[in-house]
Amino acid sequence: MPQDRAGGVMNLAVETPWLLAGLLFALLPLFSSGMAVNPSPWLAILPPDPLSTFATWTLRLLAMLTMAALVLGLAGLYRSEQSIERIGHGAHIVLLLDRSSSMDNSFAGQTPDGKNESKSAAARRLLSEFVDQRKNDLFAVAAYSTAPLFVMPLTENKQAIQAAIAATSTPALAYTHVSKGLSMALSFFDQQPLTGSRIIVLVSDGAAAIDRDSEQKLRVWVKQKQVRLYWLFLRTANSPGIHSVAEDPRDDNAQAMPERYLHQFFSSLGVPYQAYEAESPDALQRAIADINHLENLPLHYLERIPKQDLSYQCYGLAMGLLALLLTVKFFEIRV
Amino acid sequence: MTEPLQYRLPWQSTAVYPGAHPGRMVGAGQLFNRHEPLIASPDPRRIDLRASVLDPFGGYRVRVFLQQSTVNVYLIADLSASMGSGNKPGILQKLLLDLADAVAGYGDKLGFIGCSGRIEPRWRLNAGRQHQTVIQIAQQLQTHQFNGLATALSEAAAYLPERRSLVFLFTDCHFPITQLETLLRTLQTHDVVPLVPSDLQHYLRLPDWGMVTFHDLENRGTRTLLMRPALKQKIIAAHQQRQRELTHCFRAFGMEPLFIEEAYSSRQINQYFRQRAA
Repeated sequence: MPQDRAGGVMNLAVETPWLLAGLLFALLPLFSSGMAVNPSPWLAILPPDPLSTFATWTLRLLAMLTMAALVLGLAGLYRSEQSIERIGHGAHIVLLLDRSSSMDNSFAGQTPDGKNESKSAAARRLLSEFVDQRKNDLFAVAAYSTAPLFVMPLTENKQAIQAAIAATSTPALAYTHVSKGLSMALSFFDQQPLTGSRIIVLVSDGAAAIDRDSEQKLRVWVKQKQVRLYWLFLRTANSPGIHSVAEDPRDDNAQAMPERYLHQFFSSLGVPYQAYEAESPDALQRAIADINHLENLPLHYLERIPKQDLSYQCYGLAMGLLALLLTVKFFEIRV
Repeated sequence: MTEPLQYRLPWQSTAVYPGAHPGRMVGAGQLFNRHEPLIASPDPRRIDLRASVLDPFGGYRVRVFLQQSTVNVYLIADLSASMGSGNKPGILQKLLLDLADAVAGYGDKLGFIGCSGRIEPRWRLNAGRQHQTVIQIAQQLQTHQFNGLATALSEAAAYLPERRSLVFLFTDCHFPITQLETLLRTLQTHDVVPLVPSDLQHYLRLPDWGMVTFHDLENRGTRTLLMRPALKQKIIAAHQQRQRELTHCFRAFGMEPLFIEEAYSSRQINQYFRQRAA
C-alpha cells in the first residue's frame, strides 16, 4: 500500500491577490457583533457568565472565518502542484516491446487464426494482467522496431499504461533493432531518483546483432542506471533459441544466431539478468509470474498532485458557517 | 385616585419663616418650649398663673411656644444616560410635579438640581415658590435625551443651602459604591430621602432562552448573553444583592432608601414618611 510520508508544504496561492485586501473585512466582527443591541441601564451588575463569553467569542470567530472564506473564495484560492513522497513495494518497470512484424504471428510462426493468438496479442494480454497485479509500481512502455518508439514514460497512472499496452495492437512494423530500443528504455531512468529496483522487461520474438559502438554505450548505461534485465523471448517454433548451439562453426556468429549472441551480451553486462524462453502463452505467463514474484522490493517515489482549486471549498465553508450564523440569528431576542 | 404627596420632618426646621413643620423658632405655635419673664416676652395672654405664683422672685412667667416653620425641599436628580431607560424619566417627572404640588401646599420652597456629567444651569432651580418654572422643567425633562455619567452628583451639595433641608435624592445608583459614599458624605448635613428606581422589571422581562446583546447606556460596553433560566435567576439575584449593598451603604449614613419598582405612586412616599416618623 502506498502511504503518505512527509505531506510536503501546503502550497496555497490565489488567482487575484489584490482581492486579499478584503481579508481586512474579516476584522469587522471584532467591532460589531451584527446583533441587534438592546439598551441596558448597567452592565456591571450582570454576573460574569463564562458560557456567554465563550459563545460570544465563538460567534465572533465564526463570523471572521466566514468573511475570510468568502474573500478567499473570491480571490480564487488554490493549492499549487505538489509532490508527495510515497513508498511503494515494487519497482520502476520499463516494458520494452518488440514491434517487428513477426510479432503478429502466432507462436507457431503462422498468421493467427481464430484458435491461436498472435505473440503480440498474448504479450499484450499477459502484460496488462501483470500491470494490474502490480499496483504500486511505476511502469513505462517503449517499443522498438527499426527505430525506437517512445510510448509512455514512467508513471503510476495504470490507465495510461494499459492504454499504452493496448496501443501496440496496431499492426506491427518492419524489423528488429534491439539496441536502439534498449537505449530508449534506459533513457527512461534519466532524471529518476534511484529509489528501488529498476527493471527492463524486454519482450521480443527475435534478436538482432548489436554493433560494437552501441554495445559499448549500452554496457556503460546499464551499469550507470543499475537496471535488472528480463528478457521474455517469444520463441517461434523451429527458430533458433537462446541456448541453441550452431551445428556449423561457420554459423556461430551474431548475424546468424543473434539470439544466442544477445543472450551472451546480456549475461556479460554484469547486472542481474534473467532470460525466459517462452514457446507458448502458458510459458509466457509462467515467466511473467516469475518476474512478478522476484521483484517486490520497497520503492520510494514522489507522487505529483496537480493544482487544486479550493475556491469551491471556501464557498462551501462560508455557506455552512453562514447557515450556522443564521440559525443563531433566529435565536436572537430583542428585549 | 392618587393621594397628594405628604412629607413630614422628624427634626425641627431652623427656618425663620412660619410654615407647616416643627421649627426651632419661638413664636405662634402649639408646642410648649419654656417659661420666660413677661419683660422678655411681653404677651399678657400667655401668662402662666401657676408658674407665676410659684416664682420665688414674684415675677410673671409667660409661656413660650415653638413656631412651625418652613423647610427648603430640594430634588437632586440623576440625569445620566441610565436614567433614561425604562420609565425612570416618567417617574422623575411625576415626582417633580407631585413635589411641586406638595411643597406649594405646605408653603415651603422647592429647588431642583439635575446632574449628569456636569450641572447645567437649565437643570438648576434655587429654592423658591416658582410653581410655573418647576412645571417648565418637568416639561423639558419629558423631551430630554439623558446622556453622560452621574459624576456631577457629588457637586450638587455646593448648590444646597447651609441650613438643613429636606433633600430628595433620585438616582438609580449605577455607579460604584465608593462614589455613592462620597456623594452621601457631602449631603450629611441634610435630611436625605434616597429614592432609587429599580431595574427589577427590566431583568424580569429577560427571556428564558436565546441570545441577547446588551450595550451599556453609559460606558458604551457591549455584552452578549446566552440566556437560560439559570442565568436569569443569577441576574435577578445579583440585582437583589446590589439592592442590599445599597441599603447597607445608605443606612451607614443614617438614611433609609426607598426603592421604586416599576409603578410609582405618591402613596409609596407617604408610606415611607409615616414609617420614618414612627
